[in-house]
Amino acid sequence: MPAWKKIREFVAEAAVKASGLASIFIVALIFYFLLREGIGLFQAYRLPDFLAGKNWYPISDPPEFGILPLIFGTLLVTLGAAAISVPLGVAAAIYIAEVAPSRLKEFLKSGVELLAAIPSVVLGFIGMVTVVPWIKTAFGVPTGLTALAGSVILAFMAMPTIVSIAEDAIHSVPKNYKEGAYALGATKWQTIYRVVIPAASSGIVAAVMLGIGRVVGETMAVMMVTGNSASMWRGILFPVRTLTATVAAEMGETVQGSEHYFALFAIGVALFLMTFVINMTADMVLHRKRK
Amino acid sequence: MSAAARLPDGQGSPVIQTKGLDLFYGNFQALKGVDLSITEKKITAIIGPSGCGKSTLLRVFNRMNDLVEGARVTGSVRLDGKEIYAPGTDLLLLRKKVGMVFQRPNPFPLSILENVVFGLKIHHMYRKKRGILYEMARKSLESVLLWDDLKDKLGRLATNLSLEQQQKLCIARLLVVKPEVLLMDEPCSALDPMSTSRIEELMQELKKNYTIVIVTHNMQQAARVSDEAGYMLLGELVEFGRTHAIFTAPRDKRTEDYVTGRLG
Repeated sequence: MPAWKKIREFVAEAAVKASGLASIFIVALIFYFLLREGIGLFQAYRLPDFLAGKNWYPISDPPEFGILPLIFGTLLVTLGAAAISVPLGVAAAIYIAEVAPSRLKEFLKSGVELLAAIPSVVLGFIGMVTVVPWIKTAFGVPTGLTALAGSVILAFMAMPTIVSIAEDAIHSVPKNYKEGAYALGATKWQTIYRVVIPAASSGIVAAVMLGIGRVVGETMAVMMVTGNSASMWRGILFPVRTLTATVAAEMGETVQGSEHYFALFAIGVALFLMTFVINMTADMVLHRKRK
Repeated sequence: MSAAARLPDGQGSPVIQTKGLDLFYGNFQALKGVDLSITEKKITAIIGPSGCGKSTLLRVFNRMNDLVEGARVTGSVRLDGKEIYAPGTDLLLLRKKVGMVFQRPNPFPLSILENVVFGLKIHHMYRKKRGILYEMARKSLESVLLWDDLKDKLGRLATNLSLEQQQKLCIARLLVVKPEVLLMDEPCSALDPMSTSRIEELMQELKKNYTIVIVTHNMQQAARVSDEAGYMLLGELVEFGRTHAIFTAPRDKRTEDYVTGRLG
């Protein structure tokens, strides 16, 4: 090999390697920054009080930074959104991939993509003027700004992710599995639920996890419709506040370097860890399936 | 009956009979006036060059062509004397009676046990009694000579087995619902020679209880395993008769060209 070819090979390889390492490095940097700022809180404030404290009163005297109600709010909204979007999304994916006639299929797929293209603030706005008043009258509650409203709106946000990834997974199930089932005398529905869904299960789990990941991290829409009251254990028809909404709403009003400022970063760390656990779980499920 | 007279050795009753069978994919005619008779508990081979319609013919017998858009069948196809293309035919029952093995082994991505009992479950052929599924799975795995290898691994994923084991499993999956006919569409083309010879031995074992129709482009295989054979060319069944006769004394010039290697 001539020398210039060797050099070109070396440069190409090094460039690819550098790009790969850069992404990892940047993630590590972000995490380091988050951790450094977040840890500042615990010089004056105890970790158990932060994690298990029932009150989030950042500007009282003395301030209280208990994030339990915020975690509760995030969990409630997320679980509600998952309860709506997972069955609907997976069913829609099955319909699009296996049942719908091909023309309708194309139409539905672009519809789902369009749904993904709606900015979250627009969804939040639509939620405010439609879902929120509807909940207020339908359930006879004093305000429609509730965890349920957040769940409904977030379900709409998770749905495109779930539908399109699950549809991909179902669509890519090899044709010969289906042929085998039909040749044994299975009906279309038996083929779908006994062969196609198990074959696509790892992709469907990934779709659900990514959808939920999107819900956990979503801020704007949820801030607009959940009422932002940091209170606990009251249920799905009461206002709640999520971790993300807290950071977004309060970051602008804190003094840099104050305890409150550090507390918001600590929330960021908590959020990071939550999504990390979700992704890890998804990964473990995927690997167990592949075994 | 003319169909019985057609039988080369004059014994065994016909299981599948076709008369004037035409098949169209849209405007393309893939099968042209096929008349044949498949004898009970024999191995019938369909040979011919690629694209001659032999797989299409096989897929007529369990109506798998129904899945192809624009496929249309005319003429008579009888299974045990009943027209399978008559309106009101129970397609699911037909496919239970006429099982099919594919070119690429296609066990489902489920456990080995789940694969074997799949047919029982979809046809609701088991009582909800503990151990009965296991017992039926054992019987059918024994009849494809897999039981000793797999009895301790029934919970493992079937798609991790060797190709030969996968193909045998696919056969076991059919046997469990007690079919009459086994259709085999190039069952050994993905396998190595040793595996192929073991599958061929298995076929000899299976023909004691089942009627087998095999499609193959491997003439030697057809010569080795089959009792009767048909040669197809461009959608026509050129010649049909005892395998020995087809290979040693073909009546048609086109058959002779193929079996002597001049065409293929």
